[in-house]
Amino acid sequence: MGVYILKRLILAIPTLIVASIIIFLLVHIAPGDPVRVMLGPIQDQVLVERLQQKLGLDLPLHEQYLTWLGNLLRGDLGISISVQRGAPVAELIAERYMVTLELALLAMTVALLIAIPTGILSALRQNKLTDHISRVVALIGISIPNFFVGILLILFFGVVLLKTWGAGGFVPIQEGLGANLQRMILPAIALGTSYSAIVMRMMRSSMLDVMSKDYVRTARAMGVKRWSVIRQDIVRNALIPVVTVIGNSIGYLLGGSVVTESVFRLPGIGNLVINAVYRRDFPVIQAVVLIIVLLRILVNLVVDLMYAKLDPRIQYTSSE
Amino acid sequence: MKLTRHRGVLEEFWKNFRKNKLAVAGGLIVLLFICLALFAPILSTANPVEQFKSPSGERHPLPPISRSDDGHLFLLGSDRYGRDIFSRALFGTRSMLKLAVGAVGISFIIGVALGAVAGYNRSSWIDELIMRFVDILLSFPALVLAIALVGALGLGETVIFGLRFSNMFKIMLVIAITYSPRFARVMRSVVLQEMSEDYVAAAKVIGASGTRIVVKEVFINTIPPIMVQASLMMAETVLISASLSFLGLGLQPPQASLGVMLNEARDYLFQGSWWYAVVPGVFISLAILGFNFLGDGLRDSVDPRQARRVGR
Repeated sequence: MGVYILKRLILAIPTLIVASIIIFLLVHIAPGDPVRVMLGPIQDQVLVERLQQKLGLDLPLHEQYLTWLGNLLRGDLGISISVQRGAPVAELIAERYMVTLELALLAMTVALLIAIPTGILSALRQNKLTDHISRVVALIGISIPNFFVGILLILFFGVVLLKTWGAGGFVPIQEGLGANLQRMILPAIALGTSYSAIVMRMMRSSMLDVMSKDYVRTARAMGVKRWSVIRQDIVRNALIPVVTVIGNSIGYLLGGSVVTESVFRLPGIGNLVINAVYRRDFPVIQAVVLIIVLLRILVNLVVDLMYAKLDPRIQYTSSE
Repeated sequence: MKLTRHRGVLEEFWKNFRKNKLAVAGGLIVLLFICLALFAPILSTANPVEQFKSPSGERHPLPPISRSDDGHLFLLGSDRYGRDIFSRALFGTRSMLKLAVGAVGISFIIGVALGAVAGYNRSSWIDELIMRFVDILLSFPALVLAIALVGALGLGETVIFGLRFSNMFKIMLVIAITYSPRFARVMRSVVLQEMSEDYVAAAKVIGASGTRIVVKEVFINTIPPIMVQASLMMAETVLISASLSFLGLGLQPPQASLGVMLNEARDYLFQGSWWYAVVPGVFISLAILGFNFLGDGLRDSVDPRQARRVGR
């Protein structure tokens, strides 16, 4: 197992390097000189050159990249240009990442609470009315954008919200879990419902797949009770691929939380990156995108390892 | 020896499609939206950017079926500037579909080319190189990649390597880059599957060239799975372009865009102007729903055996 983990970790390195190159180059496909963009209306040649020198933009591209990467490895994500001029990007992210993380985790909880039971029920009653209804509802759920779900929730609970929320929308978790959850529950539902549709479909098809296996029929033929087969064999085995899907769709949740934060005006890193795009704050954009991609690659890695643990047929020594 | 089996493939596909209620329903919704988009100038009751005066004593946004000062009927209400929401939604649909078709078209060309080359040169360094790159791009969440690209290119019109791009075309490109890796992956697996079929071996035996095999034989058989993918991709493209516009990073006002309309409506939720947000939201959701139904139904038609087994 140790060798397998090491192998996977080593394989993730080239992916990370190429991803970081792509993110680094983002600034350089930008139209115009980034320094001129940063300076805005002040277009003084001396100032431009001095800033270029200070930011290392006069160096050859590969040297710039190596400097940038070196700084990243030391935990230096750069300095914000315009969102909060002069503030270290790492600090801006540290202030906000908890909100995004909490939103993503709560949304996932909401999604699983809806998706797993519905998926199981739908599969057990395959092609019956319950199944048809839940499948159509799932497709509708996938089709409604989460920002519209959020807006509908605000419309429905608007009066209630105005009373409990007042003007401000968000309470940090440190200032009371109850008050914090009260404000996070609608965003979590908005983000979680569309995601639950995806998980439900996966759960259903995975259940059906397992149910058609020989060992299930054998167990039933040997007289094992229906419910205990469902509980012990079908659901347990069906959950394995679902775990992978959940892990792989962490990107979906992070992307979705950018929009959801915007709807509910939550101060997370999604809001930060949108602000950075408005103001063309390249270091902030680069750092946030890098962190999200890094997180996603790491989660995928963990999921793969978990998958290997859950499914004994997978050999740790395989070349994959 | 008969090499072509494309008639069979497409005929079977169509037969299965017509039997699938979900697919037909999706197809009808999509058709409706295409008509709305094409005939927006005829169907609309006002110029989408014209600002009407509200009757004295009342303020915009006005609810559905109300009239402006000079008697214009707001079928689905007016927005904060006194513009006609129904007409704006129609023109918004038009730009939404234009954007989605363009983006899917471009990513289709890039993705299919990459995927076909990778699939045909299976296990060579070309395949390895292309697919590694595709995998890395796929590790970027779609919306995050799109936001990052918009961040690099800037809002509104842009100039890349001396070429001027309109905002619409720029967003098309951004979304196309975001989604082409998915097309590449699907295309590669489809090509690999088809390459192992007997008719390809037969074509090789009678001395057909590689290009000829891919273009003439394999291509026809890849149409159904590509159509499935294209339909599902249209749904995603509509979603992502609406998200960008909603975030203020996509189409810019005063251009009629459903995402922008939703964004503007946010400030009016608490005062109860529900139609302002609900109309564009329903338009977006219905369009995505249509493409999802269609894509899902098409998938079952491509491989009914698989559908029955997995029970999709």
